[in-house]
Amino acid sequence: MRVNKELKKRIEKIYKNTQVEFPEANRMVIKTKQKNLLPILEFLKSEGFRQLKAISCVDWIEEKEFELVYQVASLNSPLHIMVKVRIGREDAQMETIMKIFGNAQVYEREIHELFGVKFRGNPDLSPLFLENWQSIPPFRKDFDTREYVKDVFDKIPNVESENEKS
Amino acid sequence: MDRKSVIKWIKEPGKMGHKYSLWAVYFCTGCGIIEIPPVITSRWDAERFGVIPVATPRQANLFMITGYVSLKTLKAIIRTYEQMPEPKYTVAFGSCPINGGMYWDSYNTIKHIDKYIPIDGWIAGCMPRPEAIFIAVTKLWMMIDKGAATGYIRYRKNYKFYRRNQEKLFGELAWPPLYPIDEKEDESE
Repeated sequence: MRVNKELKKRIEKIYKNTQVEFPEANRMVIKTKQKNLLPILEFLKSEGFRQLKAISCVDWIEEKEFELVYQVASLNSPLHIMVKVRIGREDAQMETIMKIFGNAQVYEREIHELFGVKFRGNPDLSPLFLENWQSIPPFRKDFDTREYVKDVFDKIPNVESENEKS
Repeated sequence: MDRKSVIKWIKEPGKMGHKYSLWAVYFCTGCGIIEIPPVITSRWDAERFGVIPVATPRQANLFMITGYVSLKTLKAIIRTYEQMPEPKYTVAFGSCPINGGMYWDSYNTIKHIDKYIPIDGWIAGCMPRPEAIFIAVTKLWMMIDKGAATGYIRYRKNYKFYRRNQEKLFGELAWPPLYPIDEKEDESE
């Protein structure tokens, strides 16, 4: 625990506009601004947190913001670090972190597909799961799945009944 | 083998052959495939009924769709189905291929599998017990006997409509039509 508090002091000292919290044991949340993200991740990697576990995205539709959560862990320490960054919902863009963690490529590609966040510098943001998608990204809160099902799947006619008519 | 079926064997040996050697293509979709390992292994032993899983669609004539079908899987299902030699029979297993099941409002799961490929039999339930597969197999035997399992014939006959439905979902398909599509008929309609 003492090590964790020292880490907190050092992060808050170096980077401005950054809050560090411990919501429960062995969890550390770093809330920061967009420009601080890459330096913080680089700093954490130099401290031994060499494993990027996942990138997730949260849609805060009332605040008109996306929250990107970068989950970083170390093989030598039980501490699990979440670095949270908020970006605007309109024309959402973010710098890629591929230079620091190479495996971020697929995570960023997935978030681009499901939330529509553009990652500058990522070479391949082609669709990963969806086929022939023509609506807004499906994981956004303003996407209505029932409306989409009515528009796409319910409008496809039954083959057998169609054939009897003709 | 009882004496009554001897006549059947002599009259229609091909049909009896199809009936008692339903080789299922080993294709897993969704969660229903979890029921298949106990079915094909010693607990329920599907080989008693002539059902064995085979590795490639070109050797198979039974296709079980065992659970929810996402769009990417549907593409693979269509390609697999078109590779199977005739006669071929399809059985939809579980409630998801029938009407979407618990994925009825999902954006990436198809709701009615029979709009895209023909289905001969349905097994309802979530999940159906392994015994349900054997009930389905014996029903399929009866259907083959009566000539009612006509999925592949319907597919050939209505291929234009099936292909149109598939193209509605995927845009343009990457493979050529399996059967020739008569464009002139379309215009006259």
